[in-house]
Amino acid sequence: MGIHLSRRDWLAAAAGLAVARPAKSAPTAPVAIARCDSYGPPVHAALAKLFDQIGGLGKIVAGKTVAVKVNLTGGAGIRLWHEPAELAHWTHPDVITATIQLMSRAGARRIRILESFVQDVDPLEEHMLQAGWDPAEMLNAGSKVEMENTGSLGYGKQYHYFAVPNGGHTFKGFRLNHSYADCDVFVSVAKLKEHVTAGITLAMKNCFGNTPATIYGEGAGIDEPARVPNGGRSMLHFGHRQPSKIAPSENDPSSSRDDGYRVPRIVADLVAARPIHLSIVEGIETMTTGEGPWVAEGRARRIHRVKPGLLIVGTNPVTTDAVGAAVMGFDPMADRGTAPFETCDSTLKLAEMHGVGARDLKNIEVIGERIRDVVFPFRNYS
Amino acid sequence: MSAEWIPMRWPAEWTDASRLDLIKGTPINCLTGDAPPVIPLGDIAFTPLDSASPPRGIVLLEGVWPHVKITRTEARNTAETGPTGAPWVDSNGWRTKLARAMEPEKTVWLVYDPPKESEVVPPDYYPLPVAEAEAYGAHWVISLDQNFRKGLESGSDAALGGWKKAIAALEFARKHKEWRAFEPVAALGVVSDFEGENEFMAGEFLNLAARRHLAYRIVPNAKASAASFAGLKAILYVDAEPPQGDLRKDLLAFVEGGGLLIAPQALTKTEPAESKLGYDLRAHGKGRIATPREEWSDPFVLAAEAHLLLSHREDVVRIWNGGTMDSYYAASRDGKKAVVHLVSYSRRGRLDTVTLGLPRPYASAGFYTLESAARVKPVKSRLGTEVPLPPFETYAAIELEG
Repeated sequence: MGIHLSRRDWLAAAAGLAVARPAKSAPTAPVAIARCDSYGPPVHAALAKLFDQIGGLGKIVAGKTVAVKVNLTGGAGIRLWHEPAELAHWTHPDVITATIQLMSRAGARRIRILESFVQDVDPLEEHMLQAGWDPAEMLNAGSKVEMENTGSLGYGKQYHYFAVPNGGHTFKGFRLNHSYADCDVFVSVAKLKEHVTAGITLAMKNCFGNTPATIYGEGAGIDEPARVPNGGRSMLHFGHRQPSKIAPSENDPSSSRDDGYRVPRIVADLVAARPIHLSIVEGIETMTTGEGPWVAEGRARRIHRVKPGLLIVGTNPVTTDAVGAAVMGFDPMADRGTAPFETCDSTLKLAEMHGVGARDLKNIEVIGERIRDVVFPFRNYS
Repeated sequence: MSAEWIPMRWPAEWTDASRLDLIKGTPINCLTGDAPPVIPLGDIAFTPLDSASPPRGIVLLEGVWPHVKITRTEARNTAETGPTGAPWVDSNGWRTKLARAMEPEKTVWLVYDPPKESEVVPPDYYPLPVAEAEAYGAHWVISLDQNFRKGLESGSDAALGGWKKAIAALEFARKHKEWRAFEPVAALGVVSDFEGENEFMAGEFLNLAARRHLAYRIVPNAKASAASFAGLKAILYVDAEPPQGDLRKDLLAFVEGGGLLIAPQALTKTEPAESKLGYDLRAHGKGRIATPREEWSDPFVLAAEAHLLLSHREDVVRIWNGGTMDSYYAASRDGKKAVVHLVSYSRRGRLDTVTLGLPRPYASAGFYTLESAARVKPVKSRLGTEVPLPPFETYAAIELEG
């Protein structure tokens, strides 16, 4: 596949790489893979084993306030065909519930479930109810379990500033809802999916949703954040405007406006600014081709609902996502122009440049199932 | 005037008796217009349409051409957004329900014309206004735009096809006329006089709540009683003036029994026990009274707040992939039979992935469009029952039993 970069794009890309040079040695951490063929009780057992395999949940969460970012992308009223969202593009509630139960049992002091929505400030519980879920299942799965829609100021009094340690590919810092600061441990619970803009969406891309649409959304205020969000994060995708002035503008407004260039960089910046301590990627049942039902229009590939029957867990989001990419049939070392990054840069590479983690499988210990035994090539579905 | 009259505005240009062939054998049995046609009508009735002097037993209700507003801008055919950020829909369901609640003994005739010549209405759009009115228990006074009229005069296939579908909507409603007696299923009651200074807020609340699939039972002040609140989880009292007399007593009794009252002012002097979503919540008996900290000014915001105070947990109907669609869930008095009407205002064509969610189980479901009927199987879900619906356009009815 040919890559068409203008000289301006090339210079911009080169400038971007100059800002964030590869770390000398990005850290690595083991990643555990388990088969899990169905939802319900098997999820709890599989996750318990995975957490043990990476060294035990207690040492991560005991006595801590844990924030858990789940992936409930798009609106609650949207489904892939007739399928409930959790069987296609949302993290399944059984995975969230089991995670809460296990964390609570491991001594977590307080667990907060987080997701942001770009259309309203309705409580997260209400979005779940709209989707047909019962949030009580999760709220009662452990002691002191709370939820927050982080798409706005939410229950906080101010937005918290998160600096990107080395200055960032695109942003030097972000303003996020207080929940991303008011925690000791941050967990990303993602779905194993492709993404039309970023190639794949796993633990790291899930954190694109950390950004509040009141600052980074279509209806964000110019000087101050909007009180309520009103539209998606197109400014992050296309850079046609800057965030509300409470947050830093992007480092180089003359850089490429191509979302395949921007989104992976912004994701890498986000995970560097708000580190992920535990990554859980759910691929029990999911969809191919993109991140949600809305990607169908104009796509050459049809959407398929698939059952990889897998759970992947790790303490480093880059190593976890690298293993996740490999399980999906992709080379984590692939660069722009090669699947799944045909039209975008590699978030794995850009996060590695930030020193977040290593993406080369040679440097990643895989525990439990072997990748070659469980590989589920998404691109076999055309 | 009989409640069984099905009206049509007769084009003044149609002075040839052969034009009556168009309505022969159809449910249309009453012509309207400025003056009677100069042709023998036989069994067909005629009534002038004069809002100052409506036919006996009929409410003449001014309606709007139902459609999704499309903005003609550089971005071709983009939908105009309303305060929701979602496409703005002009619809008549809410105003029809209101008119029926205000005068339940009468039949509602919706009176409005298609857009003028500046906008071409395809003939196959006509089933929508007919089906919308019938779904909500009213009749649209069928009115043809110039293009449709000329198409029918020339016998064009497109015009005749659109006409047949519109008539099919009338036939369908006649076949299922027992549904007209069904009553709205809702967890929320809306109490107002719907007049004067209260008209805008109360009316627009009904309009915008419908866009959220927030079902409601309309209770006009003058008709309110303890019985009219039976089965409700919450009541929105809209009017600026506090309720008086029996209405006040009934509302407080509703709260004492465990209900939630959302009102501009508290009806008790107790201190708020908590605040939520910008409302002070006062305990009263087993229930609560929610009063806004800031005066209501935006019916869109009020609809969202009322929905959240009630909670989506109490939704009596859920729709997935519904797009620009209204839903109307109504049940027989004994609750053994029910129907959910779905009216789609989108012109995108076939809707093939709509799922209906209901909190209570039903043993069986019949799925009807204007062209077909099928059995569909409700499936158990986390919050009740879901019914995956076969493809449909414009209108579908889901009949539920058991």
